[in-house]
Amino acid sequence: MSKKKVGIFTFTCDEGCSIYLIEIFNKKLLGWLEKMDLEYFLSMKDKRDSDRFDIALVEGAITTERDLEEIKKVRERSKILIGMGNCAITGSPTCQRNFFNQDQLDEIKKDLEKFKFLPKCISIKEAVGLDDEIVGCPIDEKKFIEVFEKYL
Amino acid sequence: MHTCDLDISINRLSKIEGHADLDVKIRDGKVEDVQLRVMENQRFYTQAVKGKPALSVPQLVSRICGTCSVAHMTGCIEAVEKTLDITPSEQTMIMRKLMMYSLMIRDHALHLYFFVMPDIFGVDSALEIADLSEEELREKGAPAGLTGKDIVHEALHVKEAGNNLSNLIAGRSVHAPFEAVGGFTREVDNSKIPETVEELKKIKQSIINLAEVFYNCHWELKRKTNFVALTTPDFSFLEGVICSSTGACIKEENYWDHLHSIVLPYSQAKGFEFEGQEYMVGSLARLNLNKDHLHKDTKESMAKYLEIFPSDNIYHNNLAQAIEIMHSIDHSVELLENSKFKKEEIVKPHKQSGEGVGVIEAPRGTLYYWLGIEDGKVRYANLVIPTAQNLVNMREDVREAVKLVCNDGVKAEEKWEKKIKNEVEKIIRAYDPCMSCASHFLKVNWT
Repeated sequence: MSKKKVGIFTFTCDEGCSIYLIEIFNKKLLGWLEKMDLEYFLSMKDKRDSDRFDIALVEGAITTERDLEEIKKVRERSKILIGMGNCAITGSPTCQRNFFNQDQLDEIKKDLEKFKFLPKCISIKEAVGLDDEIVGCPIDEKKFIEVFEKYL
Repeated sequence: MHTCDLDISINRLSKIEGHADLDVKIRDGKVEDVQLRVMENQRFYTQAVKGKPALSVPQLVSRICGTCSVAHMTGCIEAVEKTLDITPSEQTMIMRKLMMYSLMIRDHALHLYFFVMPDIFGVDSALEIADLSEEELREKGAPAGLTGKDIVHEALHVKEAGNNLSNLIAGRSVHAPFEAVGGFTREVDNSKIPETVEELKKIKQSIINLAEVFYNCHWELKRKTNFVALTTPDFSFLEGVICSSTGACIKEENYWDHLHSIVLPYSQAKGFEFEGQEYMVGSLARLNLNKDHLHKDTKESMAKYLEIFPSDNIYHNNLAQAIEIMHSIDHSVELLENSKFKKEEIVKPHKQSGEGVGVIEAPRGTLYYWLGIEDGKVRYANLVIPTAQNLVNMREDVREAVKLVCNDGVKAEEKWEKKIKNEVEKIIRAYDPCMSCASHFLKVNWT
């Protein structure tokens, strides 16, 4: 059986889920590498030649036009899209600007315009849909292993 | 000889924390322009904390950075405690030190094994080190008898030991659930201490192997600069005096003035300065200023490597990180072997309003939290993060590195570009910058 092509993609967030995933890797990575190739993960490698993924793990929320364009590309190129963490699934806490009062909004207004932020920050689930979800801030270790191994 | 005339763009630097792009413009062998663009989208934490209960804010700001969440949480807790007149117990301080040590072990190990070692061994990813022969590894500085697979295994074990220490003390290594203002909300399970101690002792040989690789690495970039760090009497990253290599020292009661009169005025201009000079924070600064206060066991096992410091070779930042991992192990073992943790009540605030500053040493350098609290709610929060303080110094080092490559005069232009890219990425990784954090303070526009 050929190895699964896995990509790990970060959108707007603190990268806590992928950092915690690297901690989960401490015990699990060597076993998983018998069943998968890590094709895209900028935290660990520079090469980015693959353009199709069997499994894409995505973290973060969609807050700018660029985020939205990129998540659409990842969605198109991936068979299974798994959301890692609360930002990807619910938008929180990255999307906290959606709940700002007028004073807070006035402070960030210029930045929102300059960097082409979307009118509203949304979860990846809302933007392109998810095939599976791993909740938590960061991801729960047991849940990650359970969900990820289903697709390996 | 060709003149060096190039525009170099690196889209999304890999193996750093977060997203950044880099542009370098070279004309007639001279670096005209260096621009590092932080590509992290802002998440507006400094606005979001306004109006939130001060006691809940450390858990929120932890989410600024998944990499060094423990540092943000601990720095913010200290600022809240200083502001609301809360004195944490001795046991709480020991537990915070252990959390900082667990962070240093994990975070430095991630950086050294996963981000820098691939450059040293000439591969793209740490995992590829497993495929290298012992001869290839020896040639590039690995100690005798160590295979590529051994190195990958050691990387994972070292990180896991740090991760388990976090679990023991505060429930998790990222966004630790049990660390709070006034103490910890869960009791330490004393029965688990022996296995944690044993695991920490087991990785000590791996850290000597790690230090040996960086000791044997002869990369060099020296440029006279100033170093600044919070120097602590037990090298615990928490409480001490801010010192600089010029000899100036700022005591804790003067942090407020220091932050307002020295650190902040420069932040909106070209970058931070300390007493009118650019400076560097982080492991190299701490080792240069405070190596005498390392744990006695670390001084013994790392004696050969410690002789190098003080150093103004930026690449020695990596060796300094390896030494700090060893210190974190040695002091953690001592603290754990001599502590029996008991249940304690959370210390309550003595007042509800005020202003205060918390200062700690995060993995990448001095982290300042400055809070205003009114009726128990945050009125404003400002933070000064290590990567922002290092930006000017990093830019000047990139400039210097490019100049050196141009002066060496590589013949084919294509190779030139590759060589410059390679050198520039090496320099930036030596600093271990964190872009998730950088997006929270300063717009970077290097010109």
